[in-house]
Amino acid sequence: MQIWTTIPPKDEFFNTILYLLDTYGSFFLRGVWITLLLSVIGTLGGFILSLFLTIMREQDIDHKRDSWIQIATKKLSKGFVRVYVTVFRGTPMIVQAMIFYYGIAPLKLSFWNPLVAGLTVVTLNTTAYIAEVIRSGINGIDKGQMEAARSLGFSKQQGMFKVVFPQAIKNSLPAIGNEFIVNLKDTAVLSVIGVFDLFKATQSATSSNYRPVEGFFIAAIIYLMLTFVTSKIVDHLEHQKPKVVNINA
Amino acid sequence: MPEVILQIRNIHKRFDDQLVLNGINLDIHEKEVVSIIGSSGSGKTTLLRCLNLLNEPEDGQILFLGEDLMDPKVDLDHLRMRMGMVFQSFNLFNHQNVMENCIMAPISLLKMKKEDAIDKARLLLDKVGMLKFEHVPVTQLSGGQKQRVAIARALMMNPKIMLFDEPTSALDPEMVGEVLEVMKDLAKEGMTMVIVTHEMDFAKEVSHRIIFMDQGLIAESGTPDDIFKNPKEERTKAFLRRYAHERV
Repeated sequence: MQIWTTIPPKDEFFNTILYLLDTYGSFFLRGVWITLLLSVIGTLGGFILSLFLTIMREQDIDHKRDSWIQIATKKLSKGFVRVYVTVFRGTPMIVQAMIFYYGIAPLKLSFWNPLVAGLTVVTLNTTAYIAEVIRSGINGIDKGQMEAARSLGFSKQQGMFKVVFPQAIKNSLPAIGNEFIVNLKDTAVLSVIGVFDLFKATQSATSSNYRPVEGFFIAAIIYLMLTFVTSKIVDHLEHQKPKVVNINA
Repeated sequence: MPEVILQIRNIHKRFDDQLVLNGINLDIHEKEVVSIIGSSGSGKTTLLRCLNLLNEPEDGQILFLGEDLMDPKVDLDHLRMRMGMVFQSFNLFNHQNVMENCIMAPISLLKMKKEDAIDKARLLLDKVGMLKFEHVPVTQLSGGQKQRVAIARALMMNPKIMLFDEPTSALDPEMVGEVLEVMKDLAKEGMTMVIVTHEMDFAKEVSHRIIFMDQGLIAESGTPDDIFKNPKEERTKAFLRRYAHERV
């Protein structure tokens, strides 16, 4: 049911907002959905990939016990991680998006479209940031934890998986939550390759009627709601009290 | 003479340009309790940490159950399963509760069944007086409680030898006793133990042999009576005098 048949005059700010919501509601809804999709997939995918980077980076080279081929592989993979993190954190995501989208487009892959390119870029970008978050999480774990694991007979890798990672990842969860919040906002740049996220949706909704201020005011409110709710959830997780076990029970 | 289970042959260890161990030779016999004393910086903790290669010496041999830990081809992780270690800072796994700390290694390394591991852990936790804490996250325990759990955790692997690295140095004074009691019981049961400690009375009471270290060398070794009543070396006397003086 269309309430507004014509656009309100220029000085009617709130009526214009209502008009835009009424007329382009489906645009905004689709945009929110795509923005959420990019942020959720980007953060989850980034988290999983960052674990692989962390495993590669945390390998110790044992000059006495490793064969030269093991040493070479370890050095190569550690070097790869260093370069990866430097490149993805040292260049703007908007530039990465252009290179990936237009770089892979000529291969004429049937599945390659702006959304797939956007998901790829936000995931690869987030991987680099979360890898750094987990690295500092690992540095924060007392090295006695690994020594205790080794003294029981666990290998370095087992000690990592069973003792260090669980603690480091748990300590990193708030920072990973923050990466999600950053992604909610920063995926706006992916509109540059034509991803129909909230930013692009707002552009589309205001391009023919020249009411960008009202349109992006709506976008700002939606972004704010998304980030506010998420940060409340992250805060809640961060301040969760450890459960106290009553031994007299 | 009981069987020698750990033989240290001429090990050297340096940190950067400082020589911390300068050619150590030491035999540990089965069921023997050996305490290592000496001032800080004498190399006693480094020596203990070399015994299971948490610190790796530059050269020498460490023979345990007939295998040389220094040999790159030897299965170090497997040998470490038979050497329990107790740390000054406890190093319990902070993301787990008391029971989980005890059963993780035997289940995943010794392939023990979970129910069997739990039964065994309950016995050992009872022995160290921590059974009623089995479900408590370790971060909620006091230092003395943590150290007793750490001892139980090490015992879960059926070690042939237990290494103690200043196990009471990080404890409040009122908690030292409870940990030393557990260690005394262990010694009485015939566990082979190497203990780095500042607790002279405890060392005197529980040890078969005392090793006095100074400047990266074993300066003197002998029975508790030899060392505490008739020390031969001048630096041993000086150390014990200094120690007695501080304790007055």
